[in-house]
Amino acid sequence: MPPHIIGFGDTALDPGAMRRPLRVAAHLAWRILVHEKGRSALALVGVFIAILLVFIELGFFIAVPQGGMLVYDHMRFDLLLVSTDYEFQAQPWQFPRARLTDAAKVAGVAQATPIYFAGGSWQDPNGGTRLDVFLIGYDPAARPFAVEDIDRQSDRLGEADMILVDDMTRSIFGPLTVGRRVDIDDRRVTIGGTYHLGTGFLGIGVALMDEANFFRLTRRRPDSVNLGLITLAPGADKDKVAAELRQKLGNDVQLFDRAELTAHESAYWTLRTSVGLIFGSGLVVSLIVGLMVLYQTLATQIARHLPEFATLKAIGYHDASLAAVVTIEAMIIVFAAFIPAAVAAMAVYALIRSQTLLPLAFGATNLALVLAAVVIMSVGSAVLSLSALRRADPAEIF
Amino acid sequence: MLGALALSRWHLAPSRVPLAWRNLVADRWRLLRAGAGIAFAVLLMLVQLGFERGFFTASLNAVAMLDGDLFVINASKYRFGTRNPFAPGDLETMRAVSGVAGVAPLYADWMDFFWTSPVDNKPHLVRVFAVDPDAPPVFSLPGIADQQALLKTDDTVLIDSRARHFLGMDGPITEAKLFGATVKVVGKFALGPDFMSDGTVVTSADTFAKYFRTPPAALPVETAVIRLKPGEDVAAAQRRVAAALPPSLRVLTKSEIVAFERDFQAKLSSAAPIFWLGTMVGFIVGTLISYQIIYTELMDRLPQYATLKGIGYGNGYLIGSVLRQALLTGVAGYIPAWLLCLVVYKIVGDIALLPLAMTLQLTLISLGLTLGMCLLAALLAVRRVIAADPAEVF
Repeated sequence: MPPHIIGFGDTALDPGAMRRPLRVAAHLAWRILVHEKGRSALALVGVFIAILLVFIELGFFIAVPQGGMLVYDHMRFDLLLVSTDYEFQAQPWQFPRARLTDAAKVAGVAQATPIYFAGGSWQDPNGGTRLDVFLIGYDPAARPFAVEDIDRQSDRLGEADMILVDDMTRSIFGPLTVGRRVDIDDRRVTIGGTYHLGTGFLGIGVALMDEANFFRLTRRRPDSVNLGLITLAPGADKDKVAAELRQKLGNDVQLFDRAELTAHESAYWTLRTSVGLIFGSGLVVSLIVGLMVLYQTLATQIARHLPEFATLKAIGYHDASLAAVVTIEAMIIVFAAFIPAAVAAMAVYALIRSQTLLPLAFGATNLALVLAAVVIMSVGSAVLSLSALRRADPAEIF
Repeated sequence: MLGALALSRWHLAPSRVPLAWRNLVADRWRLLRAGAGIAFAVLLMLVQLGFERGFFTASLNAVAMLDGDLFVINASKYRFGTRNPFAPGDLETMRAVSGVAGVAPLYADWMDFFWTSPVDNKPHLVRVFAVDPDAPPVFSLPGIADQQALLKTDDTVLIDSRARHFLGMDGPITEAKLFGATVKVVGKFALGPDFMSDGTVVTSADTFAKYFRTPPAALPVETAVIRLKPGEDVAAAQRRVAAALPPSLRVLTKSEIVAFERDFQAKLSSAAPIFWLGTMVGFIVGTLISYQIIYTELMDRLPQYATLKGIGYGNGYLIGSVLRQALLTGVAGYIPAWLLCLVVYKIVGDIALLPLAMTLQLTLISLGLTLGMCLLAALLAVRRVIAADPAEVF
């Protein structure tokens, strides 16, 4: 039988090629794919969507709990001191300021800064709705926020009844123009500027104030603190300082380093709320869908080429080398779909970021995790579809 | 000749041979596989749609349970779930309006009350509603409406058995600490958490007033619940009440106060787009699966379709048959998915404490999407049948 009738080209049937099984398999897989461009394109689209789905679900699964870390990620501290009743950032409870004074005396601590939180009620002087705004009071000289906009404008905060507003504050708060006067808890304040950070899970609007303005407005007293930001002196050993702080400070406070804090906030949102279950189930579903689409695609391809595969078996190819062809075919489809899916995922992430204000980031972690999942899925579906191949009996096909 | 033509027309009438149906049931295994594939996509869409509705319903859970004809709130309130009360003196003004049978105050707080959980012995923020136990119930929820008389004893509370587990309200509990003071648990109701609140406590106005150190009569009111005399026109009464009150207060009907909260959630909640995206993905996946199924099916039956064409059936008939079969396959996948979804909603709803419920609206939307994806897939695949040339097939 002349080789071109089978249509796999000369290499496949060249006896010398039998000694280079992988190259032959790769060549064969490639020929199958380009042979029917329409079908292959369809398969590619299916796999593309499956991978995109995995990207999106994984993005949510990682990003939603991280909404709770957004503000922390832009604060300067090595250790965080909070009440033992601390739940999550927006519900931290309080502890005595004296603990921070004590903490500052511990060797290796460069600075211990108090941060004050309060809920306020925002209203335009001309009336309208009273909106909940999250207020943060702090000493601008301590520079607790690692946000360029805040650093640049922090001397404005010293002026009486001046606030800086997060520019992600929702539009129902009205224009956040500099100089606009609004009432917070019935006290007239002035917007001194906006900054770009994001409201995270603090609420629908966030405003920063100097401590003195904050105490005047909220009638809070300085001796009850919500967060204590501790920065270490250069060269200080974090674990040693933390151990000493834990030992010296009372049992009404607890200490987190950044890794512990991330774990705590993520666990809060993932386990305490329904976020983890919803996006966890979404992730599992997306993996199953991906596997199904891949399997469908490959099984159909094999079924259609069964006569050719049977012929190859008849002329002496082993099941193993045919399995290699199918696996390589799966890999080619998957990688060809992976690249545009990653690009599309970046666009979708950007869209979701702007729509939902979630910190959906396209990082190396997502890329690596999805790639790993996809490789496992493609090998898995190739293995599944091999059963059809094993049935290929040269005598029965024709 | 005419007779023969009439006869053949009669023979070729689609209603005589239900081709789509026969094709569908010809191979049970294939039908099962096709149904399972489509059912999977349907379930995916239903779960995403259910989550979206569930989040929405959860955020409306308290408002939806309000029981009255008219509701008065502060005009500057932007959502139900935030404290913005008005002076209690306005209650008397409402009572004086003609047609009003009774006015019951609802007091509420979202950000001040902490409940010491018996689970971890730590304080957690809870939502507190306070009612007048002698007034008609302001909530129609079983457990509140029928047990509010028990709150006549001071320092007693009703608690939410569907609160998040870490609050310990779901376990056997007779005493707890609210705001640091010991209260007696006299009953339970099943409301469930929302985005803001993990659990809910209902108490009497007298107990509530203690925490604010004010006499109960001076407590500012969050919502006034007005009941009209039987046969009163609600819209007319709404105008009369609004006219009697200062413009700083707003009078809403039941559907208006629900819509008020729903609008806020729709505008500011970031959950909805996530689930719509998920639904869209389900639709696309479903279309792909249906296309695969229909395409394979058509390819296998191509000789038969070609034969039909050969003996004179037109493209219209064949397309119609393919579309009908696609719709039937869609329904075959939809019904088991719908049934399975009831189980999934029940299990996930209990774990996530979300009110996941199958509604007519969800059924119609998902059925529409299912039939839409099957039709779309069939239209894409049917080109093969149109192109089928009887002479070439054999």
